[in-house]
Amino acid sequence: MYEMLFAFVNAVVPLAQEGAAAAEPAIPASAAAALAVGLAALGAGYAERGIGSAAIGAIAEDESLFGTGLIMTVLPETLVILALVVVFIVG
Amino acid sequence: MSVPKTEGTSNYEYVTARVQARRAALFDDEDYRKLIRMGPGEIARYMEETEYESEVNALGSRYDGVDLIEHALNRNLAKHFNDLLRWADGELYEFVARYLRKFDAWNIKTVVRGIYSDADSEAVEEDLIYAGEFDRQFLERLVEAASIEDAVEMLDNTRYGDALAEAYEDYDATGVLIPLENAVDRTYYEGLMSGVTETDNRATQLYVEFLQAEIDFRNARNALRIARSGADLDPADYFIEGGELFRASELSQLSSGVDELVTFIRDSTYGEDLSAALDELERADSLIGFEHALDAALLEYSDHLSHVFPLSICPVLAYVLAKEREVDNIRAIARGREAGLSEDEIENELVIL
Repeated sequence: MYEMLFAFVNAVVPLAQEGAAAAEPAIPASAAAALAVGLAALGAGYAERGIGSAAIGAIAEDESLFGTGLIMTVLPETLVILALVVVFIVG
Repeated sequence: MSVPKTEGTSNYEYVTARVQARRAALFDDEDYRKLIRMGPGEIARYMEETEYESEVNALGSRYDGVDLIEHALNRNLAKHFNDLLRWADGELYEFVARYLRKFDAWNIKTVVRGIYSDADSEAVEEDLIYAGEFDRQFLERLVEAASIEDAVEMLDNTRYGDALAEAYEDYDATGVLIPLENAVDRTYYEGLMSGVTETDNRATQLYVEFLQAEIDFRNARNALRIARSGADLDPADYFIEGGELFRASELSQLSSGVDELVTFIRDSTYGEDLSAALDELERADSLIGFEHALDAALLEYSDHLSHVFPLSICPVLAYVLAKEREVDNIRAIARGREAGLSEDEIENELVIL
């Protein structure tokens, strides 16, 4: 997970520096917004991994927890929705 | 026979969620208060309406009274602990399996005692708990062993082999079981600690500390028993490695008198946690009270750890301890009622947080 982030930063930083020299953004604004959404989704997915397995564990013990488990599992999904706002601001 | 190296990451989230749910379903004060007033038949019926339903129903036609309760408890315990092993992956599996070897040790001791006392193999088999590493077939063959020597030979290629073979000579010379039982306990505790002491994971460090506390308590308990019985035994022979509190040499000096030992424990790192237990020991002069207080202290500590580190081995460990405690408590109530003890006397036998 972290290795991936480092690799990403390493790839983007030189690009950004080049862009600064040319007084122009390295990637278009819409692409940056798309990136923001993608990263947020990645984070949300990672968060849901743990919550989901805990929720399944709880549901296996007590079926009445299905509703609670479902809500808890999709809570990190709000992050992605917040990130979507960026698309509208930028676009 | 050792814990297989498991691949993959540990699924702490899943296992702890299930374990916490089961921990919450254990009997509480209220249940115990009801159980204390019941006879064995009623306890069995009460258990039928809880967790133990399927076991009580399955065994109901074969046993009755206290036997039914006892067998249902053992079977339920084995079921739950096997579940733990079934769920756990990776490192977590290894930790759980290590701890559950306790039941292998218990089974070996049961078999050896059974042979020693000439009990018939069926009776011994009923007392085994199939929650450890040994599989059912192996245990069945072990129970059939004709002599202690045979049993020791069969255990040769398990982790207990070497220690038992050595202890067998002692047994042969003295004719008492203590060397054998001690060898089994030692092997268990040493296997528990090996390879986990070096780690930078805080939760695992605490797990190690917890195990050290358990070993220390075990040593303290043994020393106290020797000190009180006044037997001419060298406690260093029964010393279990891996604890923090005692060195083997210290232990033999300390066990000469109860007072010195109590002072030593009071001044140690456990002094604060055990002050209630030590007071009890000095006040009532009762070893049973002290041992129960030790158990309660361990249980409380494990509970505390499981709240502080919810995604670690700690909640699983706390559950294992609490479940064992529940089984012991119910057994004590059933046996106590059968023997006609009063409610107060039974209550003294229970360890309730």
